[in-house]
Amino acid sequence: MANSNLPRRIIKETQRLLSEPAPGISASPSEDNMRYFNVMILGPTQSPYEGGVFKLELFLPEEYPMAAPKVRFLTKIYHPNIDKLGRICLDILKDKWSPALQIRTVLLSIQALLSAPNPDDPLSDNIAKHWKTNEAEAVETAKEWTRLYASGA
Amino acid sequence: MDSEDDMHDANDVESQDDFYSGDTGVASDYDDGGGYEEEEEDDGDYCFGDHESDDSEDITSHRQQQNYTILGEVDICQRQDDDISMVSTVLSISRVGASILLRHYNWSVSKVHDAWFADEESVRRTVGLLEKPVNRPLNAGELTCGICFENYPRNRMNSASCGHQFCNACWRGYIGTSINDGPGCLMLRCPDPSCGAAIGQDMINLLATDEDKEKYNRYLLRSYIEDNKKTKWCPAPGCEFAVEFAAGDGSYDVSCTCSYNFCWNCTEEAHRPVDCSTVSKWILKNSAESENMNWILANSKPCPKCKRPIEKNQGCMHITCSPPCKFEFCWLCLGAWSDHGERTGGFYSCNRYETAKQEGVYDEAERRREMAKNSLERYTHYYERWATNQASRQKALSDLQQMQTVQLEKLSDKQSQPESQLKFITEAWLQIVECRRVLKWTYAYGYYLPEHETAKKQFFEYLQGEAEAGLERLHKCAEKELQVFLDAETPSKDFNEFRTKLAGLTSVTRNYFENLVRALENGLEDVNQGSCSKTPGGKSGKNKGGKTKDGGGSKSGLDDPSCWSCRCSPANPRSKKTCGQCNGHRP
Ligand SMILES: [Zn+2]
Ligand SMILES: [Zn+2]
Ligand SMILES: [Zn+2]
Ligand SMILES: [Zn+2]
Ligand SMILES: [Zn+2]
Ligand SMILES: [Zn+2]
Ligand SMILES: [Zn+2]
Repeated sequence: MANSNLPRRIIKETQRLLSEPAPGISASPSEDNMRYFNVMILGPTQSPYEGGVFKLELFLPEEYPMAAPKVRFLTKIYHPNIDKLGRICLDILKDKWSPALQIRTVLLSIQALLSAPNPDDPLSDNIAKHWKTNEAEAVETAKEWTRLYASGA
Repeated sequence: MDSEDDMHDANDVESQDDFYSGDTGVASDYDDGGGYEEEEEDDGDYCFGDHESDDSEDITSHRQQQNYTILGEVDICQRQDDDISMVSTVLSISRVGASILLRHYNWSVSKVHDAWFADEESVRRTVGLLEKPVNRPLNAGELTCGICFENYPRNRMNSASCGHQFCNACWRGYIGTSINDGPGCLMLRCPDPSCGAAIGQDMINLLATDEDKEKYNRYLLRSYIEDNKKTKWCPAPGCEFAVEFAAGDGSYDVSCTCSYNFCWNCTEEAHRPVDCSTVSKWILKNSAESENMNWILANSKPCPKCKRPIEKNQGCMHITCSPPCKFEFCWLCLGAWSDHGERTGGFYSCNRYETAKQEGVYDEAERRREMAKNSLERYTHYYERWATNQASRQKALSDLQQMQTVQLEKLSDKQSQPESQLKFITEAWLQIVECRRVLKWTYAYGYYLPEHETAKKQFFEYLQGEAEAGLERLHKCAEKELQVFLDAETPSKDFNEFRTKLAGLTSVTRNYFENLVRALENGLEDVNQGSCSKTPGGKSGKNKGGKTKDGGGSKSGLDDPSCWSCRCSPANPRSKKTCGQCNGHRP
């Protein structure tokens, strides 16, 4: 890809992500495409995802930073705001995006979403329904999935 | 057209039945004959069962009060500008701030004022009009742009009222992205995620590309119409006029400068006398039934006599089969034309679906009975007539255009008449177009008239039949009789006579249809009130009883065989000898 004329902003963001990573988050660009990032997020403590290691992919479109990065979970996760394709329902990835936000802020927001699922703004209807009718059971399923799919082997 | 046809027409005006003979002194007949209190009724009146004298105030307000204004682009800009100036002056804020406020409150000056004076601080916060900058960068020579992370000298950076600095290139990109995303750009905020400061037109003008500025201006203008509850765009394709509507109790009909007529309330094409909910029901019904309806829309039917396919290419329903057959028939019911509008042989009109069904007069009815259930058949009857009038109206519209662009000039040449003397033809065609529209909607009206209200239904069908017959007369005169003068080689001495006839028909038809619309909008109250034997002051208190004019009130008064001794005659088909309402007899 055209890594040669990568905007200064992306280079700076990448450098900073590598030199001062946010706690529980790692993001590194792929070797052949500097706009494609391999991301890992540790499940936050006190959440059903605790102990899990979640893989994501993040892509910076041509219009970035005027347009939001594209982010998706690669690891299976049981969460009302994440669907089975790993797509994430998060306002700053859509209409609340601002070019003054960064990759780091996006990933921190996703980490926060794992701590605080929001079944009232669901992406996955079934999971959200489960969450609202029987939260304890839904949390158990989320823990189960974390053990099954995100045990970081 | 063949000569028989024309002869048939020529006699029509004189022999018209009473409901259309309002051209000369009919009103005075009432004065001496019936002795009803007549009010300043100057338009011809032809035994139509209305109660004009009771409602005359309503009527004048209907006709004169125009409760809307058509706005062109210049007017729109002017109004928007005036509103912005007003808010800016009253609140002592910048014009840009006033514009942002107005947009937020859907361009309602009074809502802006109310909100502002109730709680200025909270309004400022929600809208993003900051009084003081929240961010004061150190007075360094260079700053880092929060979007591209480059360093720039102060003079290449800009900020909104909040003070968050971004470089000019990033601003241009930020604004451009938002403008290309749509009208949301009118609510643009500072790129800093923690900041809600509004980005107004001053920033756009300073930082956007020319193309984006132009787009922003369009959105701002459109918003003034689209977000304002009192204004709408004219729905005609390609029309750029807007309409401002003032609430009132007049009708919703709006006539745009582009000549399109539409209903303000539902933005469908104008549909008086039918109300908006009936229209939407009807449109929904049509789309649901459209699969079944396809076969009906076919433009050709077999001649009822010789069975050759006939294509209808003129707007009028009177069809003459080509020689040698030359059978004259009605396009709608395929009945012989001689049965239509005949004084003898009973009242018969192609709108009389019930009659036709009962008597099983036409083959098509037979066929349909076999192939469809009763409800579809009933719907089909109304739909077909609705659609035929719609098509007829479209045809009349294009004829009108053809008339205005080509034919009038030609006619002016052939008949040595100045074009200014030919306005009556344009007027006739405009009237035809309007009447086709009304008539079309009367079929939706008829479809939804409750089956059990027999008297009402009967009355309705009678009025509709008269309307239809009258319109056919006018349409034929404007179409076929005019053709003779267009084809003529030399000026015809009959032209002035033709002028009188067509102008007369136009005015009579206009009056009839205006009355019809009013009667239907009134829900045909006259019928409910049983006007012949009723006590004065019925439930509405509006109808003072017995006001319905004598249905037979023609020039010859009581001697006319169609005249009833009672006053409920409009509800009685002329074929009957006994009144269905009060058992009175025809003299
Ligand atoms: Zn700001
Ligand atoms: Zn910049
Ligand atoms: Zn228009
Ligand atoms: Zn309407
Ligand atoms: Zn024939
Ligand atoms: Zn007919
Ligand atoms: Zn009677």
